[in-house]
Amino acid sequence: MTALVRELRFALSERAVQLIVLIAFAASTAAVIAGIEAVNDQQALIDRLVLATDEERAVAVESASDPGDMAYYAFHLTFAPPSALAFSALGTRDTLPWKHRLRMLALEGQLYESDVGNPELSLSGRLDFAFVVAVLLPLLLIFLLHDGEAGERRAARHDLLRVTATEGRNLFTVRAIARSLLLLAAILIPFLVGAVIQGVGLPGIGVVLGAAALSLVFWLAVCLLTVRRVDAGPTCAISLLGIWLVLAVLLPAGGKLAARNVVEVPQGGELLLTQREAVNDAWDLPKPATMDPFIERHPRWAPYSTVSRPFEWKWYFAFQQVGDQAVEKISTELREGIKQRDRLMGMLSFLSPPLLTERLMTGAAQTDVAAFQRYEDCVRAFHGGLRSYYYPLLFEERPFDDSAKRELPKFSPCAQDSGR
Amino acid sequence: MSQQQVLEAQSLTVQRGGRPVLHDVSFAVGEGEVFALLGGNGAGKSTTLLTFLGLIEPHQGRAMAFGQDVQGNEDAIRRKAAYLPETASLYAHLNAWENVSYFLELARSPRPRDELSQAFDEVGLPADARDRRLESYSKGMRQKVAIALALLRSVPLLLLDEPTSGLDPVAIDEFNALITALAERGSTVMMVTHDVYGACQVARRVGLLRRGELVGTFEAPPEGMIDADELHRAFARSHAS
Repeated sequence: MTALVRELRFALSERAVQLIVLIAFAASTAAVIAGIEAVNDQQALIDRLVLATDEERAVAVESASDPGDMAYYAFHLTFAPPSALAFSALGTRDTLPWKHRLRMLALEGQLYESDVGNPELSLSGRLDFAFVVAVLLPLLLIFLLHDGEAGERRAARHDLLRVTATEGRNLFTVRAIARSLLLLAAILIPFLVGAVIQGVGLPGIGVVLGAAALSLVFWLAVCLLTVRRVDAGPTCAISLLGIWLVLAVLLPAGGKLAARNVVEVPQGGELLLTQREAVNDAWDLPKPATMDPFIERHPRWAPYSTVSRPFEWKWYFAFQQVGDQAVEKISTELREGIKQRDRLMGMLSFLSPPLLTERLMTGAAQTDVAAFQRYEDCVRAFHGGLRSYYYPLLFEERPFDDSAKRELPKFSPCAQDSGR
Repeated sequence: MSQQQVLEAQSLTVQRGGRPVLHDVSFAVGEGEVFALLGGNGAGKSTTLLTFLGLIEPHQGRAMAFGQDVQGNEDAIRRKAAYLPETASLYAHLNAWENVSYFLELARSPRPRDELSQAFDEVGLPADARDRRLESYSKGMRQKVAIALALLRSVPLLLLDEPTSGLDPVAIDEFNALITALAERGSTVMMVTHDVYGACQVARRVGLLRRGELVGTFEAPPEGMIDADELHRAFARSHAS
């Protein structure tokens, strides 16, 4: 412990260490601020949309003279609020939808109207705290440690240090640990401040600290092993940067590419087009062409399935549902494909600690693919609830009065998406 | 030799990069003795020193210190020895106090500031320089800080590699007086040098190394110093052959 304290003090006296620690602190602070701003913006947008949608819906509900009108004109906002920890790992919240304005129309097309929120971010990633921990931390650690022993040899101090230090050659290990701890502290302090501001619970903080510590320990071990084997500082730096490049950049990027090639996933656009064709075609088809497949799936409404007028809402919403049925296979393939790709990336992450760190952090922040799919499930469940509410009004023609209107379901986020 | 032996090279043979650097070198240094190993560039002087510090493993023979084989007892021996490298590259971004304090902490033998001050006085480091970073020091001043560090270790054995390199003539005289005083107080000193006259001034015995072989040993008479001219001639002859 004394040796560690001594080396911490010594490291802080070195300009290069001060600079790197300062860079780490600045990058972490910037990432935390950017993350908090991003989630605050998302939350503010949700709050505004909730208000606007409530007002709009109230008008639609009040002015509706029949349930079909109300089902057609009333919008419903669905959303996955950012978790308290989301500021630290924005994950899929940058690239996949976390809010929808839905109507009682065919659902699948509405879900996949926008495949990707920020396509450019899906390529480059965002400088969030997870990126700082997974990608920048090892890079800065390499800068800090690559020349530890070689620099002392160049300065003709190596022998003197080995002879003088009671730890002998272990002095360089203690030094490396001290510098790593300084770097870790510089990165974690802004996170801890951010976590307190965002009201993150202790388990969440624990997962992030654990992920950061694991990342640090791995890269510290890599640096120490390399420094022991390579005498020259520049050669050591090149070797370590090579390892970093493979593990932090090439493996994740190559893995993503490979997962895309191995697991074919239909495009959201393909699903949208297929559904729209199915829905639009229904206008020109005889009514039984819609009602028969609808009733086949939902026999409960068979006694009320006769459509005698040229336009009836129950027929309109039935062909919306049949539109969903038409893309069920594509939708399942899309969901399973995304899941399968994510599983592959999960397996790959055991070869790439930066990827594993990022996945641990997005998992804890509920910004991973699993969280996105949970949100989709939540939206599907809500939309199913809308259909359960409207179908008795549309098919059985139950009384459509104020008390019926008051029963109109309102979206509330599912438990795991309930955010802060 | 009546004193207890502190250092002993027993048929020491060292190879570096497959080439012999020391060959069958044997000598002993007694307690309180100042022994100088003299030789030209590449004679194997520094290698001998580093072998006694356990930083180089002998190919054959043994390096003994305090009656123990250095190999396998490096830590114990280093605790009793202070080493002054040829180029005393202390930390340029620290001042004299900070440098010495740091190295003493490394050795787990911290000293109060007044003892540091006393050591700086002994080596002649100006008081106004002590708070300045070593980056502004001359080579000689840095050497003085390193010598002060070696003194502050308060260990029975000093291993010095070209200790007067970079010092001006006055500082060399002060250094020699310091080494003599330390020896009188019981410290054992082994220094390696290519400075014939410097070796004669301070050492009671001088070993002459040539291409890794000990080709001669010169001993001072009881009441005098080694004849520098004679040593110089021997050195020149060994160099020429």
